[in-house]
Amino acid sequence: MSVFTDPALGLIDGPFQPRLAEQSRAKAWYGWAGYIAPAVLDSVEFEYFALRNQASLFDISPMHKYRIAGPDALAAINRLITRDATKIEVGRVAYCVWCDEEGMVIDDGTLFRLDDTDWRLCCQEPMLTWLLDATWGFDATVTDESDTVAGLALQGPTAFSILDAAGLDVADLKPFDLREVEPGLMISRTGFTGDLGYEIWMDRDAALPVWDRLWEAGALWGLRAIGYEALNIARIEAGYLAAGVDFQPIHATERLHRGKTPFELGLGWLVNFDKGHFNGRRALLAARDAPRTLLLKVDVEGFKPATGALVYHAKRREVGHITSGLWSPTAKRNIALAHVKASHARQRPGNLWAEVYTSQEGQWSTRMARLIPLKTPFFAPPRARATPPGRI
Amino acid sequence: MTRFDAIVIGGGINGLTAAAVLARRGKSVCVLDQAETLGGMAAPGPDGAPRGAHLLYNLSPAVRRDIGLGNRDWPFRSAPLPSVALSPDGRHVVLRGGEATNGDSSAHPDADAYRALHGRLAKYGALLRQLAENAPPGFDGKLASRSALRQMMRLGWFGLGLKRLGRDEMRNFLRVLLSNAYDTILDEMPDGPMAGLLAADAVRGAAAGPRAPGTVFSLIYRMGHGGEVTLPMGGMSALCSAFADAARNAGCQIETGVTVTRVLIEAGAACGVETADGRQITAPLVLTSTGAEVTCHLAGPQHFDIEATRRMRNVRARGTAAKVNLRLSSLPAVIGLSRDLMAARLIAAPSATYVERAFNPSKYREMSPNPVIEAVIPSVTDPGLTSGDSHYLSAIVQYAPCDLEGGWTETAKRALAKATIDTLATYMPDLPGQITASEVLTPVDIEAQTGAPGGHWHHAEMSLDQLLTLRPANGLGRYALGPAGLYLCGASAHPGGDIMGLAGRNAALAALASEGRK
Ligand SMILES: Cc1cc2nc3c(=O)[nH]c(=O)nc-3n(C[C@H](O)[C@H](O)[C@H](O)COP(=O)(O)OP(=O)(O)OC[C@H]3O[C@@H](n4cnc5c(N)ncnc54)[C@H](O)[C@@H]3O)c2cc1C
Repeated sequence: MSVFTDPALGLIDGPFQPRLAEQSRAKAWYGWAGYIAPAVLDSVEFEYFALRNQASLFDISPMHKYRIAGPDALAAINRLITRDATKIEVGRVAYCVWCDEEGMVIDDGTLFRLDDTDWRLCCQEPMLTWLLDATWGFDATVTDESDTVAGLALQGPTAFSILDAAGLDVADLKPFDLREVEPGLMISRTGFTGDLGYEIWMDRDAALPVWDRLWEAGALWGLRAIGYEALNIARIEAGYLAAGVDFQPIHATERLHRGKTPFELGLGWLVNFDKGHFNGRRALLAARDAPRTLLLKVDVEGFKPATGALVYHAKRREVGHITSGLWSPTAKRNIALAHVKASHARQRPGNLWAEVYTSQEGQWSTRMARLIPLKTPFFAPPRARATPPGRI
Repeated sequence: MTRFDAIVIGGGINGLTAAAVLARRGKSVCVLDQAETLGGMAAPGPDGAPRGAHLLYNLSPAVRRDIGLGNRDWPFRSAPLPSVALSPDGRHVVLRGGEATNGDSSAHPDADAYRALHGRLAKYGALLRQLAENAPPGFDGKLASRSALRQMMRLGWFGLGLKRLGRDEMRNFLRVLLSNAYDTILDEMPDGPMAGLLAADAVRGAAAGPRAPGTVFSLIYRMGHGGEVTLPMGGMSALCSAFADAARNAGCQIETGVTVTRVLIEAGAACGVETADGRQITAPLVLTSTGAEVTCHLAGPQHFDIEATRRMRNVRARGTAAKVNLRLSSLPAVIGLSRDLMAARLIAAPSATYVERAFNPSKYREMSPNPVIEAVIPSVTDPGLTSGDSHYLSAIVQYAPCDLEGGWTETAKRALAKATIDTLATYMPDLPGQITASEVLTPVDIEAQTGAPGGHWHHAEMSLDQLLTLRPANGLGRYALGPAGLYLCGASAHPGGDIMGLAGRNAALAALASEGRK
C-alpha cells in the first residue's frame, strides 16, 4: 500500500492524460503551462521517425487559446498583430506575431478566423491580460479557452490517410484552411513540424473519444503518440521559432534590450505597414532598416549539435550565438538557428564560426565549426503542401 | 469642409493659450468649445459671478508674452487679496505675502516661522517654475540635436539654480520636495489656523490629505509665480476675455457651442475633427484640452499603442473639489474680522489635522461633514459686479469626491450645501439668513460641463507619479499623444492646471517644434 498522500498541488492532468499515461514507458514528464506533458513516451528516435515516415499524435492542449469575438474583433486584432488581419478570410488560419509599443515581439501564434466576428488566437505564452488591454475600447470580448478547448496535432505523411480512415473528410483542406468537420470538431491544416499535418480542436469533455477514434484509425498507418523532444527536432528542421528559446518574449524579460523585432527574427514578411496603425508600428518603422541582429539558418560543419554555442567572425570576434541546433536525421545536416550581428550577417556571412565543445569518451575539447548560412528551409517536403494530400 | 493648420479642442485657459501661440507663429487656427461661454473651468456664471475658478495666483508672464499681451501687464487689473485663516474662537490669522498678523493687526507669535517658511517655499517655487516653463526633460531626437542641447542647457540652468540655493538649502529642497505638507508645516509651527491654511493650500483640488507624500510639491507649485493671490477686476469674464481676445487678435477663429465628437486620424496622423452638428474640419494638427483617455475615445483606440491606452485609462483623476456659489442679500460679517478683511480669501481649515480629517471620508467615497473651504466675496473688492447691497460668495469645498457612494443625487448636493453653509456659519452666524440663491457644482457637474476627467482641478492628480515626464502618464509626457499631429494641451499635461496657461503654451511649442523637424 502506498504511503504517499497527494498534496494536490502542482501539475494537473490535461484532457488526454489517461491515454498518454497508458502509453508512457519512459515516464518522462515535464510541466507545460501547468499541465503534465510528455517529453518522451517511449524513445525519441521512434517518435521522431514515426512523425517523418508515418504519423504522430501530439497533445497541444496546454497551448494558450483565446477567443476574441464581437463586432470590433477584427479592428482590435488588426491593431494587435503586425499582419493585415482583414486579409484573413473566414475558415483560414494565419501565423502571426504581435509586438509591444517598442516593436519587440511579445509572442507568435496562430490566429483562426472562425467566423466574421469570431476569432481564436493560439499561442505559447499566457496572454489574457494583454488581450484584455488590447480590446479595451473595442466592442469585443476575450475568453480564455486554454482549459476548455483540447487540441491534438496529427502530423506526418500518413496523417491525411488516418483522418480519412476515421471518416473525417479533409481532402480539400489547403494549408492554413480550417473547417468544422463535425459538430464540435474542428480541423485545421496547421502544425509545427513543416510536414503534412492537421490540428484537431474539440471541447475538453469530448477529447478522449476523439483520441480513440484517431487511434483506431491509425493502427494501419503507423500512428504513434509522441512527446515534445521528437516534435522539437521536427520544428527546428522546419525552421520554426520556439518562444523562450529562439526569442525571448518581451513580457517575460526583465533586463533591458532582450527583445527582438520581427525583422530581427526573419519575420519581416509578417509586418504590414500599409494597413493602418498596429501596436509597435511607429517603433517598427524606425527599426525596420536598422536590425541589430539577424536570425540565420545555418549548416554547422561536423556532427556536434551547436545549441548554445557562441558565434565568432574569423574565429576571433564574438558576433552572436546559436539558440537551437541539432543533427537533422532527415536533412542529414547539422543545422542550427543563429542570431548574428546584422553587420556580419549581411556583409561577412562567409566567415562565421561556432565554438562547440566536444567530448570524446570523456575527453573534452573546443573546436571552431564553420557556419554556412542557408537561404532555403532545412526541410520542406512537397507533401506538406499538396492538396488533396497524397495517400500512402 | 473647412481647412485650418491647427484645431484646438476646448477654449479653456490652456486651449485659448495654445491657439494664440500657434496663430502668432503663422498658423491658421480654429478653436472649438462645447460650452457657450469660453474659459472652461475658469468661465464665469451667467450673472458674472465666478462659477468655477475664482482667484489668480499662477498666471504666467511667459504665457502673457507668448499670446501677444506684452511683457508688462494683463489687460485687466487685478487686486491682491490677503488671506485669512479663520479660527472658530475669533482669533483669525491674516496673511499678506510672508507677513502674518492677528485679525486685530497685532503681532502673531508664529510670524517669524511663517515668514521663513513662506520665503523658502517661494524660493523653491521659482525654481520649479523653470521646469514648468519647459517641456519635461526627455530626448526625442538625437542626443546631439539642437533641441537636446537646448534641453540640456535648461536642465543645466535648473541645476545651477539648485546650486545657487546653497548646499544646505539644496539638500532641504530635495528632501522636502517629496515629503508631506503636514510634517513640513508642523516642523515650523504649532497646529492651528495658520498651519491649517497652509495644509489646505497644499491639497486644494487634490485627492490627498496633507499627510500624503508629494503634498509639499503642490504647495510649492502654488508659489511658482510668487504665491500672491489676486482677484481679477471685472470678474472671471475679464480674465477669460483677455485670453479669448488674445487668441482672436492673433487670428484664431473661435466657435462656441460646438462639441467635437471625433478626432479624425488617417495614415497614423491626425487630420481633423468631426463635430456634433456633423461638420468635418480638417487640419494636420489637433490639440486637445480634454483628458487623454477621452481623446483616445474620440480618435478611436485602434490608433494608439496598447500600452498607451493602458496608461491613459489608469491616469488618476479623482476630482474632490466642489463649488458652492451663494447669492447674498447683504454682506455677511465674520466675528472678529474687520469689514475690510471681508474682501480677503477666507480659509476654513482651523488646523492641519482638521484638513486631514476632512480628507478621510473621501477615501471611502463619502463627503466631508466638516469640509475645508476657500471662500471669497469678490463683490467686496469689485463692487461693480453686483447691484445694491447684494453680494456673492464663491466657495471651493473639499472633499466632495466625484465617485460619491450613491452618486451625486439632489439629496447629496443639498447635504453638501448644508455642510458648507453650516461650516461657514461657525464664522458668519448671520450667513444662512442672507442667502437668496445657491448653486452646487460637484466634480460630476464640472466633468459634464468641461469634459475634465473626474471633474479634477488639474485634469489629472498632481501626484509624484504623474508629474514632469510622467504627466499625465509615462510615454505621454511630451504632449504628443500617439498619432502624429495629435497633442494634449490641457491641464493634464505638464506642468498641470490652475489658471496659468503653461500647459497650452508648451504643447503649442512642442507641436511647432515637431513640425520644424519634419
Ligand atoms: C472647482 C474648481 C475651482 C478652481 N479654482 C481655481 C482658482 O481659483 N484658481 C486657479 O488658478 N485655478 C483654479 N482651478 C483650476 C483651473 O480652473 C483649471 O486647472 C484650469 O482652468 C484648466 O484649464 P484647461 O484649459 O486646461 O481646461 P478646462 O478649463 O477644463 O477647459 C477644457 C475646455 O474644453 C472644452 N471641451 C472638452 N471636451 C470638448 C469637446 N469634445 N468638444 C469641444 N469642447 C470640449 C470644455 O468645454 C472646456 O471649455 C479650479 C478648478 C476647479 C475644478
